[in-house]
Amino acid sequence: MNFEAVIGIEIHVEMKTNSKSFSGGPVKFGQEPNTLVAPLDMAFPGTMPILNKQVVINAIRVSNALNMTIDHELWFDRKNYFYSDLPKGFQITQDKRPIGSNGSLTVKLSDGRLKTIEIERLHIEEDTCKQLHLDDITLVDYNRAGTPLIEIVSRPNIRSGEEAMKYVETIRQIVVFAGVSDGKMEEGSMRCDVNVSVRPFGSDKFGTKVEVKNLNSVANVRTAIDYEVERQTKLILSGGAVEQETRRFDEKTQTTIMMRKKTDAVDYKYFTEPNILPIRLSDEFIQNAIDTCPELASSKQERYTSNGLSDEEADQMLQNLLMADYLDECIKVNPKHTKLFWNWITGEATAFLNKKFQSFDKFKVTPDNLEKLINMVENGTLSMKMARQVFEVMCEENKDAEQIASDLGLKQDSNEDEIKKIVEATVDEFPQAVVDFKAGKDRAVGFIVGQIMKKTKGKVNPQIASKLVLEALKSR
Amino acid sequence: MVKYDLDLLKKCANNLMFDMSNDQYNVLLKEFDVLTKQMEVLGEIDGVNDVEPMTFPYPVYTTYLREDVAETPLSKKEALRNAKDVEDGQIVLPKVVG
Repeated sequence: MNFEAVIGIEIHVEMKTNSKSFSGGPVKFGQEPNTLVAPLDMAFPGTMPILNKQVVINAIRVSNALNMTIDHELWFDRKNYFYSDLPKGFQITQDKRPIGSNGSLTVKLSDGRLKTIEIERLHIEEDTCKQLHLDDITLVDYNRAGTPLIEIVSRPNIRSGEEAMKYVETIRQIVVFAGVSDGKMEEGSMRCDVNVSVRPFGSDKFGTKVEVKNLNSVANVRTAIDYEVERQTKLILSGGAVEQETRRFDEKTQTTIMMRKKTDAVDYKYFTEPNILPIRLSDEFIQNAIDTCPELASSKQERYTSNGLSDEEADQMLQNLLMADYLDECIKVNPKHTKLFWNWITGEATAFLNKKFQSFDKFKVTPDNLEKLINMVENGTLSMKMARQVFEVMCEENKDAEQIASDLGLKQDSNEDEIKKIVEATVDEFPQAVVDFKAGKDRAVGFIVGQIMKKTKGKVNPQIASKLVLEALKSR
Repeated sequence: MVKYDLDLLKKCANNLMFDMSNDQYNVLLKEFDVLTKQMEVLGEIDGVNDVEPMTFPYPVYTTYLREDVAETPLSKKEALRNAKDVEDGQIVLPKVVG
């Protein structure tokens, strides 16, 4: 019997706003415990929630990127449960009316196929506090309590680990490029829960689903799902039955491990949050949020390829927002040099920054100075080797490229008359090369050029030198 | 309808982990009597059972959204003032998960 996987994904995205969803408590990471707490975050009596405008703008931008219908009225609900990660005794969320509904996202798979994944809903909510469970006590830090979240829930029409991975990867790219979140899965600012079940091909009934948590990288999403599909299929084929349970991905063994059996669904006794009046959003407000959204990766991809990059080259650039931002600044200086900028950025610049453990926002070379360096190579003033030497200095201190070249005494000789004299002298020195050339051995040209480079310490323009050597050998 | 008496109030207070003096319980009980009677009056209105539960008494909307500006948070001392036990700036609780 052949089985197909039925996969649905819930993604929580932590926003990088200045303040929390419903209080003015600051949103920052890596601070001392319990130092980013507003009275509301600890549920002090008399405090009232007031919705953060940027949270709404962010939710609209992501909803729009996911082709969702955007609600013009915001309603919030209380999700009630009693646990120490939630001082109010309830989480403010959007249960009945999510801001975004009925969306879709098309992803490209490795075999070139396009897959459209349907998205049920996107809603605004708030994060819980952070708990550290030790041997016999739990330590509670309320810094994260109230941090803005959006939750994105797909419909169960994902069919493989690869589709799931592409879906998560694309959503990550959207929230990062839209400036909504830093999208760091390994640090928990984007968290992913996956529901997996299998069923015989052609069946329209769902099998028993298993929830997998703790997926802290895009690659793990795929690995966990592939493992889980195989586990469930084997189980059924050997006469067993899949049980409804929550499992977690185990990084070490690359498998999923049972956390708990799922009993009946918890009743959260949702009801409308009475402390937040329904909020009406005007068409202008929604349109403005969309129009002012930073450029998304999909649009950058189109722009890069129309400027001469291949799909793969554009993709590589889009793995890193700061790197893409830097390329954009370079393209503003000269769009015709997009590919050449790409070469420098992904090559020497990345190598330099990696060595220094720095990112592109700390990169000292200004785009117009890099353009100057590229021009010096193009017009033959510098060889690539010389340009790399100049670039190394530019990376340390963004001094003018021409100035550095002159300080280092790096200048390629492109004067044809001068080079011709050197060529003639060198050919005279190596008469065997002429004999070889006449006998059809083209490498004689390379040999003479090599000798010239050695003699001049690489300061002669190799293109011009090659051209003149060829002429000289032909004329002998 | 639930019958409110002193025992029930004491039990509720106990569930919420607080206690009061007997005088206070008696004042509270009288307040519950008044409230219960008011509810009974409302219950006599014709067709009241056909009204859907509502959160707001009439349609009311706002357009106000707070600007995304961080306020000065509580000082750590203030934030931790109610905590019985603190370790490394974090509130200590009994562990309830496995």
